[in-house]
Amino acid sequence: MKEKRPMTAKQKNEAIWAYAFVAPTIIGLIVLNFYPAIDTVWQSFCKTGDFGKGNTFVGLENYSKAFASSEVLQSILNTIKYAIIEVPFGVIIALILAVFLNRKLKGTSFFRTVFFLPMVCAPAAVAMVWKWLYNQQFGLFNNVLHANIGWISDPKIAWISVGIIGVWSIIGYNMVLFISGLQEIPGDYYEAAEIDGATGIRQFFDITVPLLSPTTFFIVQTRIIGALTIFDLMFMVMDRTNQALSKVQSTVYVFYEYSFNQGNKGYGAAIVMILVVFIMIVTVIMQRAEKRFVFYN
Amino acid sequence: MKFKKFVVAMLCVAMVGMFAACGGGSSDSGSGDASGAITINIWDANQQEGIQEICNDWTAQGNPEVKVEVIDWDNYWTLLEAGASGGELPDVFWMHSDYAQIYMENDVLLDLTEYIEKDGIDLGQYYPDITAIYQSDGKTYALPKDHDTIALLYNKALFDEAGVDYPTDDWTYEDMYEAAKTITEKTADDTYGFALNTSNDQDGWYNYVYAYGANIVNTEKTDTAIDSAEGKAAMEMVRKLLTVGTPQAVVSESGTDSLFQSGKVAMITQGSWMINAFYTAENHDDYAWAQIPYCDRNGDGQCQKEERQTCYNGLGWAAAANTKNPDAAASLIEYLCSKDAQVKQAQLGVTMAGIPGISDEFANAFEGMDVSAFTKVEEDGTLFARPGTRNSGVWKNPMEQEQGFLPAWQNPSDAALMETACDNVAKLIRDAIANEK
Repeated sequence: MKEKRPMTAKQKNEAIWAYAFVAPTIIGLIVLNFYPAIDTVWQSFCKTGDFGKGNTFVGLENYSKAFASSEVLQSILNTIKYAIIEVPFGVIIALILAVFLNRKLKGTSFFRTVFFLPMVCAPAAVAMVWKWLYNQQFGLFNNVLHANIGWISDPKIAWISVGIIGVWSIIGYNMVLFISGLQEIPGDYYEAAEIDGATGIRQFFDITVPLLSPTTFFIVQTRIIGALTIFDLMFMVMDRTNQALSKVQSTVYVFYEYSFNQGNKGYGAAIVMILVVFIMIVTVIMQRAEKRFVFYN
Repeated sequence: MKFKKFVVAMLCVAMVGMFAACGGGSSDSGSGDASGAITINIWDANQQEGIQEICNDWTAQGNPEVKVEVIDWDNYWTLLEAGASGGELPDVFWMHSDYAQIYMENDVLLDLTEYIEKDGIDLGQYYPDITAIYQSDGKTYALPKDHDTIALLYNKALFDEAGVDYPTDDWTYEDMYEAAKTITEKTADDTYGFALNTSNDQDGWYNYVYAYGANIVNTEKTDTAIDSAEGKAAMEMVRKLLTVGTPQAVVSESGTDSLFQSGKVAMITQGSWMINAFYTAENHDDYAWAQIPYCDRNGDGQCQKEERQTCYNGLGWAAAANTKNPDAAASLIEYLCSKDAQVKQAQLGVTMAGIPGISDEFANAFEGMDVSAFTKVEEDGTLFARPGTRNSGVWKNPMEQEQGFLPAWQNPSDAALMETACDNVAKLIRDAIANEK
């Protein structure tokens, strides 16, 4: 065991500079992330006043109200349903695209750009375009199919329609991450496999998939969190009086409705805290699963 | 490795984009910059041009420059609320009856009482209901900008196609139903005689409820009559109309205005603030206005004043309590609400004035389109103030959604559903009022 020695002047100087360099980030995090997060926890136990003035402590009242509300529970179910579409399809399609676009072919950079474009577009613009594609009366889909389907107003299929927009928006981002993961895999494995007579499909499942698992895990984990906090798609695509809204609205949407439209910040904070705890539980389960499914060489 | 650089570059672009977006948001709404310019926020893009023109007149009198910015309704209130909590507000902005009380009680708005006394503004010249909206504890926080009424908008081409006579000022809601029914039957499958969305409240079903003798919130703001016999009769009429009108699923996606402008709907009710959108529309020659129908409650075949009801509301011009230039802000508000500016506002066709007696200027603003239905109703009918309580948001949205009228709206053939919905809505409103205390 080494004893702790007092810092030399040079070390102290270095430490000061180190703190100076991280200070902007730390201050930013405290002011923009930590303080609001702690304040949200506090507000969830309060009956909040107008404009954040005059909060009164009410204990667990907001939480018991939220757990008794079918609207909140339905919204959690809706959010999970959205994640079930967005995460697996977003990952699988992106992986297949990444494998194709990782080859040395003409035009790959063109296609990479095309697939990445949705990521660069403003989510609100994406939602507006899709809203018109889906429109029952004037939409492109119904016109091409000569159908009269309520893509976003039939409660049975609206959640799938919204999920498809989510998948479309995210595959480009996932694909870019997969491509960088693929480039980490040494080519020798594939050469050896080819000499042994392995087919392309065999190579994909026995080399690519296991060696890519750290990237896959990272994407799955971040996308699950992203999907569980979805808000903008539902908000932009669905009108307030859409009959399918109650079967599609996410938990964050319900939080927005109560906090901002109804001015009940305390109840909104409680709803969002329930979501945070839920995400934490999912994350813990994911971390456990990491040890079993992810292959680090 | 080259590709990694590409990824890093992409992420950098995304980050910069995020910061730019954050920065842009906060610098947009600063309270009056160093040059002393006044920032105005409004939510209706149709009015931006006209209001800017009136503000330029004020600037020409040796006052600071004025910048009019438009933010859509939903974001407007989110932004204003954030500004009220965090301190960054536009100098001068619109206030609305749904929100006025909360803003006045929390010292967010500049108290205009002293300025009004000093400059000798006569509050009696405005519509009294509208002046009252923006007063609290004997203080005045905003001056009436305008008022609005509701009328029936119809598409002559579709009436001709179905061989139905055009709406007249003597129409009852029954007449409207019969006409809608015929048009729906005689035109293409996706074309209907009538359309109404649950969210068309002020410009839609509120008017039925009051014409049938009920109310959404009583004048004392203590109770509702939506579950009374009259209220249910009114909603029964709404239900009947919906059986021959555009289905809710379609209306919630496309909106009644788009459907009307696409020639898929023959009749909608609309507010006077929307005239310009239809006046400048592609097929505006086919469009015409009639007075909102009435309900012949006493069965004498004539329209008494209380049988024709139109919801009316007026916006207020308010200033931020923490504006850097309160004198200029108050002076701008006084100018915007002066008779001269309000006459100009009417002449430009921006909206009807907050001062009675300027109706003709407004009716004449739209050459080639007769909009007198909006002004005639003020003599032939009764104006009722847009219903609201201290925190209307708590009951207003739920009332128009799953917990309120939406299920009945989706299944108009089921009369029992509409009756239950009336009871549910009454409970929503009563619970909300009880919680406000």
